[in-house]
Amino acid sequence: MIGRALRATLIALFLGAAAASAADSPSSAQPPGVLLSRQLAARARVSVGDVVTLAVDANGARGMMVRVAGIYEPTPDPMRFTAQRLEAHMHLPDLAALVADSADPAARELASAINVKLVDAHDAGPFASELAARAPGVIVRPTSRTRDDDPFAVLDRFHVAISAVTVVGATAFLLALMVIRAEERRDTIAILRLIGISRRSLLTAVAIEGLLIAVMGAIFGVIVAVATESLVNGVFQARYDTALVFVRVTRSIAVRSIAIALPLGLAAGIGASWPLLRGQILSLFRR
Amino acid sequence: MTSLGLAWRSTKRYRVRAVLAVIGVAIIGALLFDMLLLSRGLLDSFADLLSSSGFDIRIVGSEGVPIVRFPIDGSTRLAADLRALPEVRDVVLIRVERATAQVNGRTPRDVTLVGTTQTGGGPWTIVKGTNLPSASSSSDRCLMLIARRLAAALGVVPGSVVDLSVRPAGIASALPAIACRAVGVVNFAFAATDEDSVATTMIALQDALGLQAADADLVLVASRPAVGSAAAVRAIERLRPDLRVYSNEDVIAQFNQNGFAYFRQISLVLSALTMTFAFLLVATLLTVSVNQRLGEIAALRALGIRRARIASMLLWESALLVGGGGLLALPLGGLLALALDHILRQMPGLPERLHFFVFNWRAVTTHLVVFGMTAAAAAAYPVWLTARLPIAETLRREVVG
Amino acid sequence: MPVVEARRVTRLFPMAAGPIAALRDVSLRVDAGEYVAISGPSGCGKSTLLHLVGCVDQPTSGEILFEDRDVAVLSEAERSRIRLMRIGFVFQRFFLLPMLTARENIELPQAEAGAAAADRRARTRELLEYVGLADRADHLPSQLSGGEMQRVAIARALANRPALLVADEPTGELDEQTGEQVADVFDRVHADGTAILVVTHNPALAARASRRVTMKSGSLVS
Repeated sequence: MIGRALRATLIALFLGAAAASAADSPSSAQPPGVLLSRQLAARARVSVGDVVTLAVDANGARGMMVRVAGIYEPTPDPMRFTAQRLEAHMHLPDLAALVADSADPAARELASAINVKLVDAHDAGPFASELAARAPGVIVRPTSRTRDDDPFAVLDRFHVAISAVTVVGATAFLLALMVIRAEERRDTIAILRLIGISRRSLLTAVAIEGLLIAVMGAIFGVIVAVATESLVNGVFQARYDTALVFVRVTRSIAVRSIAIALPLGLAAGIGASWPLLRGQILSLFRR
Repeated sequence: MTSLGLAWRSTKRYRVRAVLAVIGVAIIGALLFDMLLLSRGLLDSFADLLSSSGFDIRIVGSEGVPIVRFPIDGSTRLAADLRALPEVRDVVLIRVERATAQVNGRTPRDVTLVGTTQTGGGPWTIVKGTNLPSASSSSDRCLMLIARRLAAALGVVPGSVVDLSVRPAGIASALPAIACRAVGVVNFAFAATDEDSVATTMIALQDALGLQAADADLVLVASRPAVGSAAAVRAIERLRPDLRVYSNEDVIAQFNQNGFAYFRQISLVLSALTMTFAFLLVATLLTVSVNQRLGEIAALRALGIRRARIASMLLWESALLVGGGGLLALPLGGLLALALDHILRQMPGLPERLHFFVFNWRAVTTHLVVFGMTAAAAAAYPVWLTARLPIAETLRREVVG
Repeated sequence: MPVVEARRVTRLFPMAAGPIAALRDVSLRVDAGEYVAISGPSGCGKSTLLHLVGCVDQPTSGEILFEDRDVAVLSEAERSRIRLMRIGFVFQRFFLLPMLTARENIELPQAEAGAAAADRRARTRELLEYVGLADRADHLPSQLSGGEMQRVAIARALANRPALLVADEPTGELDEQTGEQVADVFDRVHADGTAILVVTHNPALAARASRRVTMKSGSLVS
């Protein structure tokens, strides 16, 4: 009900704001204060201190004068980041005065939800069950979600799956590069083996090289991610007019990326050079 | 030997790196293909789901998308008025309530109870039994269809009797249970995978609610094909300006704007990233490969082989790597799409028939075009490198080197 | 009648420390059917002169006339065509395409010249017999010895019946005996009327030429 009333009111606000401005005659009694979302204030072109008409109906009927007491940034909600946050916050009695039918005493009981903060948040589940049993018809839900049921947990799994596929693709890329590097140095490896450098030493050298390339690549990737983080966030925040943070490169993500790169680089370095280290020395010389 | 033949031989000669490149491109390509499927999949699936009901217009009593619904005053009368409109072919009233279902005194289960005036078919597929008969053809007061999963859990088969008690949301109620006979076990198109649903007639729902006439909270309208949904929507809005009337296209547009935005964005971003990745992979491999063969290429140029021929050979090499990977990406992408779809479909409340990755030929075409462009772009630098290769200097360097 | 003529050509190579003259005011003429050998110490400009005469490089000053046409005014495509049809190149390092067999390497310039498949096959067979490698037609370069590879390279250079065969140290990578086999092939090519310009350190090969030229520090000395 609140959502519906506010949405209807917001439409009326544009008309009301213009009318109040034209009249330029605030009433002697201080009108009730209202907080507007930044997006609504910008859309309606009102500032703190302005007195505007808030109405239930789009045509301005069933309205009341309110004073813009403040403008707030709505808490970003990833579930509806594409929605236009045209919102207003007011005291419940003021809302009741605005929307309730004065002929119906019960109409003032219009709270559609009650938020309860428990002493111990871990009691949310049992508390919800008990309250639901005691008050039939009331829907009681803990605000904390179970991990498996959360849409963002599902999205997390989706992102991890995509990352895994990307890592496999990147490994093929790295392996191909290391094969080319090994091929380029076929003669060098042949000469080194010919003069008695052990396979173990050569293997260590190529493993270190693979490791270095992978780690450097991962570090470069992290640097690119950090450098583009604000760009990506800026683009999407501007696109959807929200303060929601879309990308955040955390230390744990950076460490994880590098940690994944280490064994892959090692494996690619050794795997690519192994045929050259294993084969007969003379067969390595090109003809 | 043609340029393609030369490219093929060259690719075969460096087969390990070629195979790795094809694998890399195939994996990246599979991801691109999936992102192309995702870019429209959910929307296509949603549209398919909406149209599967056979109705192209939805009427609700409240603003916003028809998800949170309120009863429509005088909906029976409304249905009659709607049927009288020349733009309208068919009208169905629907009301959804929460209820509990109980069989033989076992533990009751919470269910979604759908009351509908639609009989002889609807947004469900019969697994076992029959459809709801029309009101006049049955002496039973309450017949119902039951979701397969729920039927299995309750041990219900066609002919079983289930006690249904409606529990209207937001009010305390102690409505008596009514006995309903299951006539069919079905898969509901709109029901979530974890949702237990039953469907019955509006009359039976009225009984369950203890009302003489229950208002519907959703009216489905089928427009006449010759008129189209837009004209029918306008006609309905003229008839009842207080109601919210949405064509399927409107609902899809709203969905595209709101619920689908995240997937559109991620598919766009990942498509761009995967293509950049594929481009870098192939461009690097070709460039390194060309650098290794500069002597050969300079010698070929000295022998009078034209630049165009060598450029064409490199383009073919690129096409073989990207094309091979790109084609392999299609079945691989199909399999990956199944896995990713399975993950995303774990989201709560999704209709069972809704999918995120839906095959469409447009995605295949786009995939192939994008890969063709990537192959050309990846070959551009190596081609440029060979085109401006100083023959004499390269031959000298190769001999000295 | 000259096949190719270098007239007072100079070739400077720009270097960070200042340009280096690889050739200074050099003139050389190779007549049809003539066999000319250029020798001299390393870095004296032999290969540079060969590249100019072979139309793969341009002089800084002076002119190159190939069959009486000034090479400087020709487009790259026209020079490429001359190299394809009128000049055959033999390199010290053979530069056979490693993924093609001996037969396919020899067919490549013919295919580029637009020869019909049947003609290509016949000419290739003829050339393989000419260089004594008819039984190695389907072998890859990696399956041939150095001398065999160089003979395949000579066959490839002769594929389009060039007027001039230019060879840069063709025996440089070969032992004495194998080098002689290659030199024998050159003798036959010369005997068949093709002009040859060969750059070599190998006195035995140079001795077979009808004319020997010596270079030193970018100039002809004899």
